[in-house]
Amino acid sequence: MFPWTDGYHWSATHIIFLSLFFMVVLVIFSTFVSAVWRAASDLRTHRAAKLCWQKNFADLPEAARHCRHQLAGRVASRTCDNAFDCRQCANYTQFGSLPSNVPTKNVGVSYSDKLLYHRGHTWVRPERDGTFSIGLDEFANHVIGRPDSVEFPRSLDDVESDGIAWRMTKNGYEIRVRAPLGGTVISTGGPDEGWYLKILPHGQPNLRHLLHGQEVPGWLAAEIDRLHLQLSMPGAEHTLADGGMLMPNLMDAEPEADWDTILAATFLDS
Amino acid sequence: MSETLLFDRRWIARGAERASTLRFLLWLFPWMLLLLLGIYAAGLCFYYGLNQTNMDNRFAFGMWIFLDLAIIAMGAGAFFTGFLVYILKQKDLKPVLNSAVVVGLTCYSGAIAVLMVDVGQPLRAWFTFWYPNTHSMLTEVTFCISCYLLVLILEYIPVVLRNRQLRKIPSFLVFEHQLHKLVPVLAGVGAFLSFFHQGSLGGLYGVLRGRPFVYRQGFGIWPSTFFLFILSAVAVGPSFLILVTAAAEKVTGRQLVQPTVFRKLGFISGVLLAVYVAAKAVDTYVWLNITSPSVGFGPSDYYSYWPMSSTFLFAATVPLGLLPALLLILPYTARRRGWLLTGAALACAGVLLNRFVFTVQTLALPTLPFDEFLRYTPSWQEVATFGGVIAYGVIVYSLSYRYLPLFEAAKGVDKNVSLD
Repeated sequence: MFPWTDGYHWSATHIIFLSLFFMVVLVIFSTFVSAVWRAASDLRTHRAAKLCWQKNFADLPEAARHCRHQLAGRVASRTCDNAFDCRQCANYTQFGSLPSNVPTKNVGVSYSDKLLYHRGHTWVRPERDGTFSIGLDEFANHVIGRPDSVEFPRSLDDVESDGIAWRMTKNGYEIRVRAPLGGTVISTGGPDEGWYLKILPHGQPNLRHLLHGQEVPGWLAAEIDRLHLQLSMPGAEHTLADGGMLMPNLMDAEPEADWDTILAATFLDS
Repeated sequence: MSETLLFDRRWIARGAERASTLRFLLWLFPWMLLLLLGIYAAGLCFYYGLNQTNMDNRFAFGMWIFLDLAIIAMGAGAFFTGFLVYILKQKDLKPVLNSAVVVGLTCYSGAIAVLMVDVGQPLRAWFTFWYPNTHSMLTEVTFCISCYLLVLILEYIPVVLRNRQLRKIPSFLVFEHQLHKLVPVLAGVGAFLSFFHQGSLGGLYGVLRGRPFVYRQGFGIWPSTFFLFILSAVAVGPSFLILVTAAAEKVTGRQLVQPTVFRKLGFISGVLLAVYVAAKAVDTYVWLNITSPSVGFGPSDYYSYWPMSSTFLFAATVPLGLLPALLLILPYTARRRGWLLTGAALACAGVLLNRFVFTVQTLALPTLPFDEFLRYTPSWQEVATFGGVIAYGVIVYSLSYRYLPLFEAAKGVDKNVSLD
């Protein structure tokens, strides 16, 4: 195999054959090393969270990827291809200038005009000290009720936008809650405090990707319709939802439901 | 399926319907027994040596080499599908790509495992790399198969890392993404390696001057069998993939790929099989009329020994060659699942027969005036090892089907994923 190996000959066949062999081995080896190197680079430069979210987003069903402008009634139908990152969307301004067309009605859960909402059912509230509070919205609170346990990041840890902000468990199910914006964790709260995280963003944050105004009731109405369908008994006829309030603590009230699927759809986990 | 019956639910892709854990374990049980029996038989061969087999110095290639040649041909679907999807951009075949990788991986790793038993001195298996005989087709086969197994492992890693629990680990998911982006490179290397080792397996026989039954003329250093083996392997690979997928659909009771994918694979397989049959016919004509008579052998020297009569030649050419090619190509039959599967099964049977003829009939036929027609019956250890490899393939495929995304719909999952 090598010139110093017994039986090696400096012949054309040896040189051609072994050169080809070593070239192939080199290509295979360098492909593997290149993948490891690139992955390590992504993890080092905090691109990993964004990449993970983009892969996760691509695996979501199409119904879960509707554009905010469809939810606001500005366009009839549009699927997001920017992983819900409207900051990168070239058409945001064009669609955003269209009048919204969502009937103002009681969608079954309360929401606030003072909060900005993330599609993973968290809200963001700017505080006077420059930090941002993050909490679970009413929809998520109604679905989960009181979580059995909450696992927060440590203080001064960084969370990435759309990365996993904190984890909860409820009735044996693991719930991974996505961060609506990135920054450094300043303090942690919990269900009793009404908020879960306070974070300090790196620089001036761009919050364009978060829902507000008429988009929120349109989105929540669609989410409640989705929940209705997912909670229907298997084999039951589809019925038209005609209003009513979302009852609290649904996971305890409907323990037989397919919570694995429902929680994944609610918190954008593939 | 009720959650309570799926104890491994957390490891199964969300939304995927799978049999209950108990039913799955019951399915695996007989295969596990067969695998254990195969491991025991291989252990006997390692401990006591090759006297556990019915091979001898005259019949040095037996059931195991037939198995190697057969499953390496069947596993060609892996490199060929990768070549079609990544190099020729046939994206509509993407739904079967992961399945093809698993089929290829099990075929090649099974073949190498059997070779390790067959060499009789597994502790010296590395000699073939360290002291290569670069004039031997077998050296080329060994090098290419070993490298291609590495390629298949690298192609399998992204599939494994897409498991529901593993993908929750960010470093795994990022590595899977980066490795997946480089898979076209691996597909190209795989096609290069497969071209040469499939060919060299045929060339191995074609250069045997002392065996007029398989000795062939050719081009340069390559006998015609070099090219015929490549052609037959790429022809039968897609057919085998059709059969494996259809078997998986039958066992699971679910439709796993669209019929159009089956038809496309079948058409590709049929066209290549037709070309192979035509080339094989020309090769046989030249061999029987020029090559073989030049060394004093006529057709009667090969085909007058029952059961390996001219029926084998006819069967490999017409009912297991031309007929399946037509069944896979003609729109009337290709549209009907029953005929399509029949065509794929006949195509696979034809190549199996071809590899059997090259391995067993070649050694059975007398080459000297005082030779007799040899008969060989594999020992139970050979059969059990053979069965163990089949069981290994079924188990790996079953586990992969249950826990990994083998049949992803071509929804352009990765096309939106880029940070570059």
